[in-house]
Amino acid sequence: MMPIWTKSGEKRPVTLLKVQDCHVLRYVSKEESGGKTAKLLVGGKNVSLFSKPESAHEIFKEAGVPPKQKVSTFNVTDDAIIKPGTPLYAAHFRPGQFVDVTAKTIGKGFQGVMKRWGFKGQPASHGQTKTHRRPGAISTNKAAKVYRGKKLPGKMGNIYRTSFGLKVWRVNTKHDIIYVNGSVPGHTNCLVKVRDSKLPTYKDCNKNPPFPTFFADGDEELPEDLFDEEMFQFTDPSVTFA
Amino acid sequence: RVSSDGKPPKFQPPPKPVIIDRKTQKEERRFLSPEFIPPRGRTDPLKYYIERKDMIQRRKVFSIPEFYVGSVLAVTTADPFASDKSNRFVGICIQRGGKGLGATFVLRNVIEDQGVEICYDLYSPRIQAIEVLKLEKRLDENLMYLRDALPEYSTFDVNMRPVPRMDHEEIPVNKLQVRMKPKPWSKRWERPKYNIKGIKFELPEHKMKAAQKWSQPWLEFDMLREYDTSKIEEKIRKELSEELEK
Repeated sequence: MMPIWTKSGEKRPVTLLKVQDCHVLRYVSKEESGGKTAKLLVGGKNVSLFSKPESAHEIFKEAGVPPKQKVSTFNVTDDAIIKPGTPLYAAHFRPGQFVDVTAKTIGKGFQGVMKRWGFKGQPASHGQTKTHRRPGAISTNKAAKVYRGKKLPGKMGNIYRTSFGLKVWRVNTKHDIIYVNGSVPGHTNCLVKVRDSKLPTYKDCNKNPPFPTFFADGDEELPEDLFDEEMFQFTDPSVTFA
Repeated sequence: RVSSDGKPPKFQPPPKPVIIDRKTQKEERRFLSPEFIPPRGRTDPLKYYIERKDMIQRRKVFSIPEFYVGSVLAVTTADPFASDKSNRFVGICIQRGGKGLGATFVLRNVIEDQGVEICYDLYSPRIQAIEVLKLEKRLDENLMYLRDALPEYSTFDVNMRPVPRMDHEEIPVNKLQVRMKPKPWSKRWERPKYNIKGIKFELPEHKMKAAQKWSQPWLEFDMLREYDTSKIEEKIRKELSEELEK
């Protein structure tokens, strides 16, 4: 994570996400998957053959692509289908776009109720016998049972969570890095799924994105860095208020 | 040569070689700003490389002078609410923190009997000028104890003129020992964890001895805490000098 400044001099924290060897692996049609839209399986970081079970080798052989550490699905409309085996780059996202980022949160292990659910616990003194961080009562007398989903101690973290509506400030096409506003779930160097935002406020935000994706062997010659209009670039002189 | 008795001439040992030591003639002082050195961790070095490119880009447009904790600086920032849209603050640098683009420095001054500390971002685009009025080092790397020292040690004239100095001179170390206000202080500065050399402690002997109870003498031998930055520094210095010459 690092800071970024806007043209008016305000500071924003930004997370760097690297697009490392992403390839489209398979196309699953609407009828096959049984959902509302067609799906595309996309694979992430390259990994050796021996870390994947043999049953998983098939998909990568069909697509003609080295085995990937993570495979995730994206729901796509019929006009955005891509041939399996095409590489995906960071230039697929443009600055000014809004994005949802999903990842597995940092695992905290078995945690008590105060850390996991934010309970207040009990006072430290004034006669409390061996009760300082306990949940207290877990149900009423009339219920005569504990409801399903009651907040109790347990394993915390290491689950998939999404941050919605993050703005893309900058895209580095040479190293395939996306600069995304704010923080993102997961530890440093963890695998992350980046998707166009599905929030209703950002439905019409994408102005001419590369559709269906950015093809490296196409005619477009992109500069090394793409910046958002509001972002302060370090080649400009210092900000002044006239 | 005429021999004395027909015997061979007496052996003359060769003259002793004169060693001219050229290395100690000039050890160039090369300053590397502390925010360039990446912290120890599991982050990808590509992230630090990209951050450094941005930092170098900013330094090409706006020169950030060399300064240390203890030097007096004057910083002009753009202020949308001031009448002439800029704000000049003079103060002594008490702390330099952060790594990479988020590097900060805190300036302290006492204005009209009110102590003021401002924390500036080194790479913020709102900074219009950084002027070093007095370049010097102090005995410590963190002068936070000036908050509990007598106010005369933190007052600096706002219209102070820059102290002239030659380029090749060594940076002077000000061995000033500061006198403190009566206790209680914001932090217990006499404890060995802060390792402060720049305070003239006027505490009784038994209090100073009691403070040594919190010393951790095994820390300096802890090998896992060692972080040797010499090789990293060399690489970064080379990179910097190449980029800034372009």
